[in-house]
Amino acid sequence: MRIVSILLACGFAFGLDTVVSQQFQSLYRLVVLAGLYITLAVSLNLINGITGQFSIGHAAFYMVGAYSAGFISKTFYAGQVSPQVWMVGMAILGALFAAIAGFIVGLPSLRLRGDYLAIVTLGFGEILRIVTQNIEPIGGAYGMNVKPFGSPPQTLWLAWILAVLCIAVCRNLLKTAHGLPFLAVREDEVASSAMGVNTSSTKVTAFIVGSAFAGGAGAILAHAESFISPDMFKMDVSFIILTMVVLGGTGSITGSVLAAVALFAIPEWLRNLQDPVTKVPIQIPGPALVASILAVVMTVALLKLAQDRYHGERVKKIGLLLGAIFAGSVAQMVLNLALSQIPSLAAKSFEAAALRMVIFAATLIILMLLRPQGMMAQHEFSWAWVARVFGKKEKVAA
Amino acid sequence: MAGLDFSILPQQLVNGLLLGSIYALIALGYTMVYGVLRLINFAHGEVFMLGSYAALFTSWALGFSPESVKGIDKASSPMNLIIMLVVSMVVCGLIGVVIEQLAYRPMRNQARIASLITAIGVSLFIQYAGGLFLPQSPPPAISEQINPFRNEKVTFTIKPAPKEAVDKANVAMAKARESDVLYEKAKLDGRPAAQLETMRQANQEAQNEASSLQTQVSSQTSGIVIPFGQLGMLLTTVFLMLLLWFVVQKTKTGRAMRAVAHDFDSAALMGINVGRVVTVTFMIGSALAGAGAMMYATVLRTPLTPFLGVAPGVKAFVAAVLGGIGNIPGAVFGGVLMGVVETLVVWLDGLIPGLGGYKDAVAFVVLIAVLLFRPGGLLGSSKVEKV
Repeated sequence: MRIVSILLACGFAFGLDTVVSQQFQSLYRLVVLAGLYITLAVSLNLINGITGQFSIGHAAFYMVGAYSAGFISKTFYAGQVSPQVWMVGMAILGALFAAIAGFIVGLPSLRLRGDYLAIVTLGFGEILRIVTQNIEPIGGAYGMNVKPFGSPPQTLWLAWILAVLCIAVCRNLLKTAHGLPFLAVREDEVASSAMGVNTSSTKVTAFIVGSAFAGGAGAILAHAESFISPDMFKMDVSFIILTMVVLGGTGSITGSVLAAVALFAIPEWLRNLQDPVTKVPIQIPGPALVASILAVVMTVALLKLAQDRYHGERVKKIGLLLGAIFAGSVAQMVLNLALSQIPSLAAKSFEAAALRMVIFAATLIILMLLRPQGMMAQHEFSWAWVARVFGKKEKVAA
Repeated sequence: MAGLDFSILPQQLVNGLLLGSIYALIALGYTMVYGVLRLINFAHGEVFMLGSYAALFTSWALGFSPESVKGIDKASSPMNLIIMLVVSMVVCGLIGVVIEQLAYRPMRNQARIASLITAIGVSLFIQYAGGLFLPQSPPPAISEQINPFRNEKVTFTIKPAPKEAVDKANVAMAKARESDVLYEKAKLDGRPAAQLETMRQANQEAQNEASSLQTQVSSQTSGIVIPFGQLGMLLTTVFLMLLLWFVVQKTKTGRAMRAVAHDFDSAALMGINVGRVVTVTFMIGSALAGAGAMMYATVLRTPLTPFLGVAPGVKAFVAAVLGGIGNIPGAVFGGVLMGVVETLVVWLDGLIPGLGGYKDAVAFVVLIAVLLFRPGGLLGSSKVEKV
């Protein structure tokens, strides 16, 4: 069943490539990026969620992979092999370089814990970014063009196969004896070391494997975008990857995948939001926006209250939650009418695209407030679960 | 040691100290919140940003908006600065409390990483919502006319320039002033254009010579010049820190804060109103950031954008960790160290060209180096975790 899953997924990747490439170029790019974000989130989940090492500098490994592969491609590619084969090689090479970086960052994890480790990983990412900004041969602050093949290559299949590979590695690690030391280190480092787990090598291994996948993703990014700059690997990117892991449920691979796709898709969808008939970007009037922000705050507060305080029947609880949402909508309308009376605000309007990061941040806060354990919590997708949903009662061999 | 200019070293150290005092003010907020909640408050830099905007709006309300000061030299009084300081401290204190109540309080019993993500969310939200509502293009700056001391400065001379150079410069200055007066008078008299043009050129030459001689003198003098505003900034910072020390060490609230920082649960069991203590901590920490923001925006006259808080926020955070997060004197020490290291790196640019570009990275290099040898920070204590 496992092999079937992987084959299905690989087939899906190739199918996606052919189907999407016939469609528009912009969608192709988004699907590639979504695949890369899945790889990033799942690989960070290996470090953060499965091994419990608090790393918030994942963009650094992404950058190492992108720059090493990009530079080598740019300098040495002269049609030796076909672009597809060359890119596979570059992905491996990017992973190798990122693994070295991961090893270097993993070393302090032997000595530092929790927040201090987080800060060191963050600092390492910033140092690498600033150093890159100051090296002229690789483009400095401006960035570097990576166009070894002339035309943009087909990267989608590679991005998604890397994602599948990453998921497979993490899943197998969780399901087999090889993964037990990682989980033991997460649960209690002192106890696991007393039980004979080599905590040092476990932690460094997690960093090496996690960063290698990020490096591979970086290498693909460099070829897919044909242009990389240090600005693409800022602290914010690390934060977004970390958010994907936590929002999906720390430690849950399925959760990381879902959150990666969702958090990547929301801003992209808002960016292209336009009126379906006139094709004009949607304008949101100022009073409506302010009223919505206030109403959302109120609704979330009510929902949170109902969730925490009420421990009665399930039906009544759902009723209460729906009531909170209804009260919020009413409040939005009332506030909207009231705020429309203020002329300076009523004259203002905002494009939906400008709101995308605000909505992104608000989603983040609300999801964390209402479901702090993440979307999937600790659960995983499995065929047994699918079978249960579709009514087959017999046990499926996983 | 080619290229290193030792005569500017004392000045650079003082500049570093001034910059560091702002970092220290922000770092205090990080460290206090971390002390009581064990939470890295990523939104602290955004509170700082809102504080600088609060100062900007107050300066407009006091009659120093860009339209009203255009082309005129408006008189200001120190009172204006005090009002701005108080307003931005109060606004920031309130914002800190609101953020704590709405976003962090419901997360109190959850995993720490969930609170951290909420903090990142709040930070992004304030940045981008600020981008929608706050004036930002072109980036507004607080009018320098609100600072009544903008032309005054304190000078400490360490080694004066040679006497003859000073005399020469003085003579040139006098000459330049004389030629300026002559030229102005000629303009008023309505002399022919050609004659005016030659006079203008001569005047320009005299001015240039005087200013170049002046620069020569000042490059031969080694000393420290501190503008009055920056001196006031340093004194205010020191005053606020002493006030904080008094509150934390001598008052009942301060004792409660120390108890909560020491052990959250035991403090609650001892009858301390933990919720109130956390609120007060957020209020004080954010108010300090507001004070820092007002001085950053008024004295250093940084143009304001909704992303203004990110860079000082990260540096102050590094400073707090450097000193040992949760440790109040450590945050002050770390902040000052950070400012001094930053200016020293720019100074060392003379020795190793291109080093100045790395000034933001050096902060982190110092941090990692320190943490590897003292995992608890410079003044912090590192506890060995036991079962």
